[in-house]
Amino acid sequence: MAIFADKEALYGVLGAFFETLPAGPHGPLIHRVGGPILFTFHRPEARILWEPLPGGPPEFAVHYDAEQPEPLLRFEQDADLAHRFWQGEVDLQDALARQQIRAKGPLARAMKLIPQLDPVYLAYRQFLAGRGGEGL
Amino acid sequence: MTVRAVVLREYGEPVRVERLRLLPPGPGEVRVRIAASGVCHTDLHVVTGDLPLPLPMVLGHEGAGVVEAVGPGVTTPAVGQTVVVSWMPSCGECFWCATGRPDLCERAAYAAARGILPGGGTRWLDQQGEPVYQFSAAGTMAEAAVVPAACALPVPADVPPTSAALLGCSVLTGTGAALRTGRVRPGEQVAVFGAGGVGLQVIQGARIAGATRIIAVDRLPERRAMALRLGATDAVDPSEVDPVLAVLDLTGGRGADCAIEAVGTPETIAAAFNSARRGGRAVVVGVCPPAADVCINAFALPSQGKTITGCWYGESDPARDLPDLVEHYRAGRLRLDELVTRRFALEEAQAAFAAMTSGASPRAVLVP
Repeated sequence: MAIFADKEALYGVLGAFFETLPAGPHGPLIHRVGGPILFTFHRPEARILWEPLPGGPPEFAVHYDAEQPEPLLRFEQDADLAHRFWQGEVDLQDALARQQIRAKGPLARAMKLIPQLDPVYLAYRQFLAGRGGEGL
Repeated sequence: MTVRAVVLREYGEPVRVERLRLLPPGPGEVRVRIAASGVCHTDLHVVTGDLPLPLPMVLGHEGAGVVEAVGPGVTTPAVGQTVVVSWMPSCGECFWCATGRPDLCERAAYAAARGILPGGGTRWLDQQGEPVYQFSAAGTMAEAAVVPAACALPVPADVPPTSAALLGCSVLTGTGAALRTGRVRPGEQVAVFGAGGVGLQVIQGARIAGATRIIAVDRLPERRAMALRLGATDAVDPSEVDPVLAVLDLTGGRGADCAIEAVGTPETIAAAFNSARRGGRAVVVGVCPPAADVCINAFALPSQGKTITGCWYGESDPARDLPDLVEHYRAGRLRLDELVTRRFALEEAQAAFAAMTSGASPRAVLVP
């Protein structure tokens, strides 16, 4: 069974977590990438776009079912894997080599953030714990 | 003599039974009265045109029967001998045969691509006297066929013909993919993508080799259930979960020691490669259309140090390997009888193809 029963469940958990990021200490990380990032999920099919706003860090918008013709970066992955990734359980390099995550765009801009994501992983785990499994 | 045979005249069209003239066996050939012929996805590839071969053609390449006539110079098998028909008429003389790879024999490949016997030409003629080609020097979907004597391999007469027929292709191919190409060793973890006719034999081969975890990946519940009965320890539905992630989870995050693909699509080939552990092996036994390409991650090649290879007929030397398989069958290690849940007449060949693709029958068999 997939972690997220449907698109709404994914948006209600992972999307809701993403929306907490601009207000937290991690928002500036997103801006350092330098452009929109489109996440495409499978099982369930869903899309979330991170769009840095002109106002500068830490503000960025989270769009659902987004159609962004030219995002700076695209990541495509199974939703179960995404759920694990944001908990810090996935080695990105290994997942790319296994085609569990497919990336397009200047990947180096995202890769250099990886060492700084530990607090974000912790934040997602705490976010999940705070919900008591709701939506999963 | 005339016999009924399943003939494909146009790609994508239904096959039909025709009455054909069967010429006498030539030098080094025998005529086999076919008792049973397995229905394989490779036959279907010919029907769809994914495996383009000369038409019209008599289909069928795994069969069993009894020798009823021998051509000049044939000393074995003898008339009356029960045989399995192999589709690999290796010459024994070319570079590949001489170096221990009869499965890659260049003369056999030449004959197969032209739908003829190694001795030249086909032994079938239609009602207008035009040649009807012969699938892989076999053409077992018929009441009788003329095949190279070296492809008529003796088996004990008490092996049921419907089970013996499977030995001719799916068993040699599937078990060979695990035992020879995959070199599965005791205690290893194996992932098998596709639990159809060949994939189920890969699973049996892995079990015989001593694999302790065998993960079957297939969309069809009937096939997953059969895979578990035949030795798979786990079954994964790739329509429900990412199969690569599932294999990683079931192997402690490491990946399969050996991942074997028995479907024949670029996606499942990539998934098999991706599910193998670092330093592991991926084996492709499924047959893709000749123009298909597979996309795998370039970084994975140096960073994960895997081996990816494939095999044609499970790297088998049928004359060498068949006796071992018969012994496994007799000892109950190789289970064949339960795979043949449905038998079809030649006229029902189209229905047999449907039963195979739907998963309704693990191995459909035609009984002339």
